[in-house]
Amino acid sequence: MIGLYAIALGAPPELTGARGEPLRVLRCGELELVHGEVPPPLSAEALRAHEAAVRRIAEGALACLPARFGCCAEDEAALSQLIESRQVELAEALRLVRGREQMTLRVHGARPAPPAAGGPGTRYLEQRRRAMTLPELDPLRSALANLVRAERVEGHSEVASVYHLIDRGGAAAYQRAVEGIRLDGLRVAISGPWPAWSFAPEIEP
Amino acid sequence: MNSRKRAEAEEIIERADASLLEIIDHVLNKGVMLQGEVILGVAGVDLVYLRLNALLCAADRLLPARDRK
Repeated sequence: MIGLYAIALGAPPELTGARGEPLRVLRCGELELVHGEVPPPLSAEALRAHEAAVRRIAEGALACLPARFGCCAEDEAALSQLIESRQVELAEALRLVRGREQMTLRVHGARPAPPAAGGPGTRYLEQRRRAMTLPELDPLRSALANLVRAERVEGHSEVASVYHLIDRGGAAAYQRAVEGIRLDGLRVAISGPWPAWSFAPEIEP
Repeated sequence: MNSRKRAEAEEIIERADASLLEIIDHVLNKGVMLQGEVILGVAGVDLVYLRLNALLCAADRLLPARDRK
């Protein structure tokens, strides 16, 4: 069995995995599948080690799509087969993240008031739309417009997560811009820069 | 479902500090997933994702408060 770390373009040489093992690169069309040994059993250390290994790949590669912890395949042939049918979308995702990195915002207190107008159906749809797009964050978006290349939003009842793709090296400017914005009733916690974890193609059900 | 592994996953999340919670969200909730092949040996983790969201909410008390000026 082998474990997948990332799908990359221009992966750097002499990478090591979560167990300290040397990583190998398998070509699949234009994609480079960076893999190593099967991940260690689940533990806090194993998760940190996986993150660190992916970070080393991302820092040296032209583009890097991280693989989720625990992705395994029987061997290189099986890995290729799993990736082959998704080559086009993965190549497209690599183009998006190329030369870029991710910043993550946890937004607390985003509880959009249900709109008063319309019937129950309209109100429900409008509420869902707001939870997905968080219009409360528009002032932040304006302030970050020059820095953010792509955005993903996940709304939850207690905390919303906003993932921004920025150009590599732009984290300090991003942080200053976020700190300079006051959002009514919202609190924002920043982390990053990260490899582009949240910009992998959507997972099929 | 392997209940021992599930207990391990829950314990990791319950004990995690803010920086580990951030890592968990990215490493277990995001990233490319191979269909049908993921999370070997990580059974039960999916069941604690919701719990993770609640803890991320609490985590901002531990993270530096960037917005309180």
